[in-house]
Amino acid sequence: MSTHNVPETFSIPVGPLHVALEEPMYFKIDVQGETVSHIDINAGHAHRGIEYLTTKRTMYQNVVLTERICSLCSNSHPQTFAMAAEKIAGIEVPERGIYLRTVADEMKRVTSHLFNVALLVHLVGYETYFMHMMQVREIGQDMLESIFGNRQDIGAMCIGGVRYDLDDKSIAYIKGALDKIEAETKDIIKTFKTNGSILRRTKGVGVLTHADAITCGVVGPVARASGVDYDVRREAPYAAYDRLPLIVHSLTDGDVWSRAMVRLEEILTSIDLLRVCLRDLPGGPVNINDRPDIPPGQAVTRSEAPRGEVIYYLRTNDTPQPERVKWRVPTFMNWDSLRFMLQDAKVADIAMIVNSIDPCLSCTER
Amino acid sequence: MNFLTIFARNLKQGPQTEAFPLGPAFTPDRLRGRIEFKAESCEGCRICERVCPANAIRFAKTPDGMTFDCWHNTCVFCGNCEFYCPTDAIHQTNDWDLSHANVDKFDMVEHGLIPNQKCADCGATALNTAPMVKNAKPPLSAEEYTELRARCPKCRAKYLKNRKVPA
Repeated sequence: MSTHNVPETFSIPVGPLHVALEEPMYFKIDVQGETVSHIDINAGHAHRGIEYLTTKRTMYQNVVLTERICSLCSNSHPQTFAMAAEKIAGIEVPERGIYLRTVADEMKRVTSHLFNVALLVHLVGYETYFMHMMQVREIGQDMLESIFGNRQDIGAMCIGGVRYDLDDKSIAYIKGALDKIEAETKDIIKTFKTNGSILRRTKGVGVLTHADAITCGVVGPVARASGVDYDVRREAPYAAYDRLPLIVHSLTDGDVWSRAMVRLEEILTSIDLLRVCLRDLPGGPVNINDRPDIPPGQAVTRSEAPRGEVIYYLRTNDTPQPERVKWRVPTFMNWDSLRFMLQDAKVADIAMIVNSIDPCLSCTER
Repeated sequence: MNFLTIFARNLKQGPQTEAFPLGPAFTPDRLRGRIEFKAESCEGCRICERVCPANAIRFAKTPDGMTFDCWHNTCVFCGNCEFYCPTDAIHQTNDWDLSHANVDKFDMVEHGLIPNQKCADCGATALNTAPMVKNAKPPLSAEEYTELRARCPKCRAKYLKNRKVPA
């Protein structure tokens, strides 16, 4: 059989189910042999119409609804929404509430980052270590369940403060859990720096150069791994971040390994921030203990979710329901960069590269 | 190298998974589970009905009084009702086991009744709700509370207005 009839490029579908995170995202990928030559991203499989639903619910119901947009950033959404409502109504959150907001935010960041890096190890094919990392994350999940009452939808936020409080017993419990996670995370970082399997599969793979990162406007750990030194917690401090010793980690290589490394280093920073918060936790009320009507107005607020910058736009009118809620989530900025990362990548690396931007389609398509 | 320590630890600890349903499952005290309603502490302000994002809570007027229903199959266990309840009449227990047969799906309801009563003053029929006295100064004595509770809303207002406040 002659070989000249065989076409040089093939088109293969990846997704919409089970690319990396079981996220419904569809890639039409043209390959030349084993190498990706062109990709087409198609999304829209997880649309649930939540933006419309928010206009049908009251402000106080929406705090719960926005929490259910995404499971891993389930604290950042209601927090940013509540910040927008507070900005319109001129509500000032009590000092203790501000610190407790930071505590909830950082706890979610620790478990979210551990989850993503664990999945990376799973995609590398290192199942044993994946199980171990998920077990480390389980310490954090048990912590969330014990403090907030739920593993994912922690329900910490309300307009005007937080809904939970910490006593000496729970603070001691959190400190104990953090010690365990910190020791394990340091071990994981050591493994990431030395383990041959992980290094060979992730170093120099899915590179996003600094210039491309600027072009795509990527945010969060994806940006920081490409040398864009940007973190909302430092640029526009909210909650208690202006009083905390925040270290922003950035690397310059922009490959899958760097993105994982930024996340791992951020876990350690988050643990430090949590310790400082618990040490400096002021007394007093945790919320305004009131349910004021939100006057007509509009506001834009932003915060640093585990995946990057999340922006909320809120417009209210005379009714208890908001007139418009719109949010821009980190994955929306980051998934365009996949075109650059996947260019000339190997087919076997596609899942790993997609996972490395920590995609969250339930936020993006809501 | 550190794998040997992990291996040794895991060998000693045994499986990390829970033995449920053969053994107990990890259940923290603060777990947000099944809703519990105490009709006798309810003020009847119906704030829980308004803040419930899933519309799982319904109040209804019946000849016997006002009924409270929380549909557990609709509930998202967010805890907004408990958080905004002024009298702790709604409480989320840490009971998470809500599995049930399909025939029982309409029975997964927390039901309560705030009964009607005859006003001790004017004799009108009114709900026997808990009085809203959180901000009453000085706080009501137990006797005053019982007297106040036995009245209709109008007579309650009158009672509080005519209350002798010691100087």
